[in-house]
Amino acid sequence: MGAQPLERLRSLRASGRLESDYPRVAPLLAELFDGPDGPAERFSALFRAGRVLSAIDTDRVLLHHPDTPVVSVAVTGHGTVAHLLDPLTTELARHGMLARVQFSDHGAYLRDLTDPHSAFRTCGAELALCVLDAEILFDQLPLPWGIKDLEAVTTSTLHQLSALADRYSEDTPATLVLNTVPLLRHHTQQLIDRRGRALLGAVLRDFNAGLLRLAARSPSVEVLDLDPLIAEGGPACDARLARYLKAAYTDPLLAGYAREVGHLARSLRGMAKKCLVLDLDNTLWDGVLGDQGPEGIAAAGTYRGEAFGEFQRTVKQLASQGVLLAVSSKNDRAPVLEVLREHPDMVLREADFVRVNASRDTKDGNIRQIADDLDCGVECLVFADDSAAERALVRHRLPQIAVVPLDEEPALHVTRLLQDGWFDTRLPTEEDGRRPDRYRVEEVRREALEETGSPEEHARELEVKVWMRPPDTLELARLSQLTLRTDQLNLAGARLRLPDITALADDPRHLLLSIRSADRFGENGMVGALFLRPDQGQMHIDNILLSCRVAGRGIERACLSALLEYSRAAGLRSVTATYRVTSKNRQVRELFPELGFREVRDDDNGVHYRHDLDVIPPVPEHLRIDSRFEGLVRQ
Amino acid sequence: MSLIESRDGFLRMLRDELGMDLAEEDLFTGLDRLAVWDSMYLLRLITAMEEDSGRRIEVRRILEAGCLDEIRAWADTRGDRGAGGAR
Repeated sequence: MGAQPLERLRSLRASGRLESDYPRVAPLLAELFDGPDGPAERFSALFRAGRVLSAIDTDRVLLHHPDTPVVSVAVTGHGTVAHLLDPLTTELARHGMLARVQFSDHGAYLRDLTDPHSAFRTCGAELALCVLDAEILFDQLPLPWGIKDLEAVTTSTLHQLSALADRYSEDTPATLVLNTVPLLRHHTQQLIDRRGRALLGAVLRDFNAGLLRLAARSPSVEVLDLDPLIAEGGPACDARLARYLKAAYTDPLLAGYAREVGHLARSLRGMAKKCLVLDLDNTLWDGVLGDQGPEGIAAAGTYRGEAFGEFQRTVKQLASQGVLLAVSSKNDRAPVLEVLREHPDMVLREADFVRVNASRDTKDGNIRQIADDLDCGVECLVFADDSAAERALVRHRLPQIAVVPLDEEPALHVTRLLQDGWFDTRLPTEEDGRRPDRYRVEEVRREALEETGSPEEHARELEVKVWMRPPDTLELARLSQLTLRTDQLNLAGARLRLPDITALADDPRHLLLSIRSADRFGENGMVGALFLRPDQGQMHIDNILLSCRVAGRGIERACLSALLEYSRAAGLRSVTATYRVTSKNRQVRELFPELGFREVRDDDNGVHYRHDLDVIPPVPEHLRIDSRFEGLVRQ
Repeated sequence: MSLIESRDGFLRMLRDELGMDLAEEDLFTGLDRLAVWDSMYLLRLITAMEEDSGRRIEVRRILEAGCLDEIRAWADTRGDRGAGGAR
């Protein structure tokens, strides 16, 4: 199955249309990686595609498709790093992104990290990859060496890397990516006593554990754990290529590394997925419900059944961390619900799903409806199905969706599902764990309100309450996620990662207010934020964000009215705002004029609005707002 | 029959694995004058040639080769020489 999409990719290049047709590349790569091929074939396809793609002219793509996200990457390392180009280009292209990659000379990592003028530090990359290998330690050992020497070297090197990482994140906005260093047999076997060998393993793992903890300490440092990649991808190192070409790692390992970097870039851009859409027959259980009935299907008790049970447990584990689950099945709804409610084998139950779409509709229509119900775009969904035909149809009609290729071997379902980090986030947040509950409550709300009339009546029925407060430290992670995930009501379209938010919160010139809300069905949690900047008698609104979860309730109007009232009472002259149009935030345009803001200018920076605080619209009657502005404006 | 045993096969390998569309005469052009060549490709090429022939290639010889056909010839003959003990 692999050759065909690769041929089409090559013919795009041969005809000079790779750049103008760039949006076709990601679906072609998705097709290339779909199918029964094993890891070796996958790596081979990845590298072949990488050779085609790395010649791409980024500027020409942007000429045709100016909205294409470009990820700038600087790469340094202890060994040769240039052969990361192909896999990085391909992995970013899978996500529809373009790579601008800058490589350092081999072995330059220490200079790159220490010298404040090195290109690695000054090139403005958003991802700075520093590829480490165990030779950074073994190169420093005397000959002969013993465990004590290795202990001293690992301690001092960890200390050095940790200081360099700290300084790097102070000086540059980039996310620095380090990695654990694999322990190879040609290290361990240099000691002939088994006790020493065991200690060596412990010392090296302490070093790796120390590296991994750096990521927990600093928000702009990530550490990739290479162990799981090696366990999956075969040998980490070829002694000849390491010796003669200074290539610390084999191609398959670098391919795995690049895949992790692709997902990291995706998650830093706020492009992480929200919802896993699952087929049922031969995806969640063994058998076809429509043919065999509930007695004929299994997710426990048989060889194959156990494999499906394990898949369900894995899916449940993802859901417990905030991944929403939905069903898209061509089965009839009634028997599906019966199985989800009563079948003894099921780990996943009806309540685990935010939507169960079981109908004769085509899968793409079915999936589009799930996206609509969840108020998110199809690009927020991941679709898993064992049928190649259904996957091909969905990929073709909904190219923005990520598709997990399952097949007739259920023991591989978990591997396939977790092969890509579609749902990766930097931190767990309190909100994430409760997200599925929120959406389910949302369904109850929707159903309750469908019986009443106008939007105002809906909102009144809901008895909405709103709180505006300066956020506490724990809320900053959620605030960052809001900027990354909120598209439609996002005045400035700005996306702020946790370090950016933390810097803003610490900056006395900026003011942050979190917006929380609740209604008669319960709390909604943090749903929005205001980013403010008081300056010489004026208040400037840098941004206002509101989650689409609570759209249509007038919360944004209430918050802005309260801000206008407060600004007038504090003796300010005016409140200003700048609206930057993005592809998704058009609905914000009407918000400001409706509240009495006047358009004063429309230039390259956006539309500039000003409110002179003469007539301030009242907070909508149907909701109550409690805002704490005290001390916001220092007189 | 493995691809590196013939120039046609080798050209096909260069195209599939490295994305290089070359003509037969390019195989004899010095690597320093072959515009599309980058030493970065050696890694992938060596892996591909070893997978193709099922034999271990003497990497040093490949690094010292002056043109692509020399690479092909060394990769192709290394197994025979190894068998003959010519290290």
